[in-house]
Amino acid sequence: MITFENLTKIYSGIKAVDNLNLHIEQGTIFGFIGPNGAGKTTTIKMMAGVLRPTKGRIYINGLDIAKAPSKVKKIIGFIPDRPFLYEKLSGVEFLRFKAGIYGMTGNRLGEKILYLLNLFELSDWADELIESYSHGMKQRLIIASAMIHEPRVIIVDEPMVGLDPRGAKLVKEIFKEWASKGATVFMSTHTLALAQEVCHQIAIVDNGRIVASGTSEDLKKQAGVEGDLEKIFLKITGGVATK
Amino acid sequence: MRIFKLLISPRFIGFKNSLKRSQSNSRLKILTLAGTGILFWLVLFFFTYRVLAYFSSQEMIGDILARHLLAMVFLTFFSMLIFSHIITALSNLYLSQDLELCYSSPASLAELFLSRSFYTVIDSSWMLLVFGLPVMIAYGVVYSAGLNYYLSLIYVSFPLIIISASLGIMIVMVLVRFFPAQRARDIIMYLSIILIILLYLLFRFLRPERLVNPDAFISIAQYLGALKAPSSPYLPSHWATDLLWARLTMYTGSQILNYLLLWSTAFAMVVIDVWLAGLIYSEGFSKAQEAKRRSHAGKRMLEKIVSAVIKPFGPESASLIAKDVRTFFRDNSQWSQLLLLGALVVVYLYNFSVLPLERSPIKSIYLQNALSFLNIGLAGFVISALSARFIFPAVSSEGRAFWIVLSSPLSSRRFLWSKYFAYLLPMLVLSEVLIIYTNYLLKVTPFMMALSSVTIFFLVFGIVALGIGLGAVYPNFHHENIAQVATGFGGLIYMISSSVFIALVIMLEAGPVYTILSAHFKGVSITHLQWIWVVCSFIGVIFVNIFAIKRPMAAGLKALNSYEG
Repeated sequence: MITFENLTKIYSGIKAVDNLNLHIEQGTIFGFIGPNGAGKTTTIKMMAGVLRPTKGRIYINGLDIAKAPSKVKKIIGFIPDRPFLYEKLSGVEFLRFKAGIYGMTGNRLGEKILYLLNLFELSDWADELIESYSHGMKQRLIIASAMIHEPRVIIVDEPMVGLDPRGAKLVKEIFKEWASKGATVFMSTHTLALAQEVCHQIAIVDNGRIVASGTSEDLKKQAGVEGDLEKIFLKITGGVATK
Repeated sequence: MRIFKLLISPRFIGFKNSLKRSQSNSRLKILTLAGTGILFWLVLFFFTYRVLAYFSSQEMIGDILARHLLAMVFLTFFSMLIFSHIITALSNLYLSQDLELCYSSPASLAELFLSRSFYTVIDSSWMLLVFGLPVMIAYGVVYSAGLNYYLSLIYVSFPLIIISASLGIMIVMVLVRFFPAQRARDIIMYLSIILIILLYLLFRFLRPERLVNPDAFISIAQYLGALKAPSSPYLPSHWATDLLWARLTMYTGSQILNYLLLWSTAFAMVVIDVWLAGLIYSEGFSKAQEAKRRSHAGKRMLEKIVSAVIKPFGPESASLIAKDVRTFFRDNSQWSQLLLLGALVVVYLYNFSVLPLERSPIKSIYLQNALSFLNIGLAGFVISALSARFIFPAVSSEGRAFWIVLSSPLSSRRFLWSKYFAYLLPMLVLSEVLIIYTNYLLKVTPFMMALSSVTIFFLVFGIVALGIGLGAVYPNFHHENIAQVATGFGGLIYMISSSVFIALVIMLEAGPVYTILSAHFKGVSITHLQWIWVVCSFIGVIFVNIFAIKRPMAAGLKALNSYEG
């Protein structure tokens, strides 16, 4: 469950995120879409505790991230858009490191790491240094590492960047499965087809504000257009592309 | 030429923009850096001036010594320039992130090569040029040289820089032709370590201290013979020395041959470099893009080290420390520098072993204890220098992957203190080894031995805290190379703070220690008032130490808590 209360972020006088209010129920895959510079990544970074809001609050499963950051971070899995990792660690060492900073130990950890490496087709590269991984492999490793502590909320920024079709399909299935088990997935993306396919609810954000939200059907009604999400998106966000 | 200008323009535009858009705090940084640079510049000028003034007061041998020194300066500059060009050429020609963009542009190979060589020359030579200038000006002032001398500086240094740059670039191109760029970097690293150690040994074997002590020679002829530098008429630095010396001493003979030699060699070297680039540069660049596969050698050893280091820590801190240890040992640029610093520590210890204490006119026991006291400061400074390179960048070493820590449940406090304790133990061990061994060589009294060991023990707590804390206050998570972190503004602030801290502790201890030692040697008792002073000073030391631990760590924590990546 995710709640935003008057969430605002101002960078040097510019409002990147402007008074967002939102409530997302548990088990929902939520799509957060908008044009470049709309405030999507800023919102996601605030949810992950990487940025601090200028005003407003974020509650994850009822916990205020400003008041209990460690408790919140224990239940979220964050997947950023750019795969910056510790290049001198091997894949398996990175997963051990990630598990360690989430306080995870024990004999079953090894099995879990093996399971994730197999799931994301990284077993053959497990002992190679991350610096030799391709962009897509790094992205898969980050997603695997976000899953290691079985988060209740997954926050993901552009999940499909760098993934091949097989990897993209795998990630979609994982998100669906995770949500069916009661986890919430908050996903920012430019891939509108992906949002339409997997998201239960979608919000369109522009200039830091939510300009439309709901299910795909709700958005159609709000935009007053028939057709796919792309048409709705272009109608709502305006710009040259609509002409 | 138009493409060449375009290719070199981003650096200048970027520099102009960063100056234009610099905020008041970054202007303060620039001012502080400039101030420190000017101070260093002035110190170098006055030091050279004093040395040369002393030489010129010595009849017969003064000029020989000054010329000898000039030749040494030029030879050193020339070697350092070649070395510096090798380092920067590797990154400018093969490893920079913008190279892909440049290579995919329609620029010709020659334009691309020349533009990257231009960057290499700028990066490698500006600092040496700036810091070589005070030495040259000091020569000009002492020898009352005319305008001609100062003009010669320009047309002598320019070809010298071009020759050294071409040589450096040539070496790198040949190396990368046979090894991938990453491997070539390792090779250069090892070579440089060996080179520096060899240079030092050579310097020690020459025993330069004898040259300022003519009494040690039986005859003048023998002394003059010892002064004679190895003749090197084929080296460009030799031509440069001849030219400038002629200008300094108003020698009227023709120097045309030396000019021709310098300039024609510079032109020839550029032509050879461009020709060589046409043959092997693009092949080398292509090789540089190859990923390096992991070497399994030493893996078991590393795992042993990791498990030993993380034993006392909880799972969160242990993960962080294990990651740091692995990263450290796999990054060759890190541990090879450690090797180099290790060599310097050995040199430091060696110097103590050859101190001629028995020949000193001061009573040996006094001198030994005074030196031991001075040694606390020196050891503290060595530890600070090591910390500047390895502990100050500890927070920044997270690099662009710092989001992982920020988004994890690991608190900033635990993150910072984990880093602190991980570095504390090795620094404590190293500092105690340094101080105990050097005190043993000095044969100091048990009192001084105990005092030095305890003082350095507590100093290390503060030095490490300053490194970690200030490293968090001035982080650089966007560095391309971790070695850059220590050379920034934060590194400078760290070195100043650390030196002030060490000086403060030593100043507080110096008076009481002198009183205690004097009383001991003179066989008199210490008065009540003196005891109060001694106790107050040592309480002061405790307070300074506590402050040096708490304040930077608190500042670092505050900075991390407000950091927005």
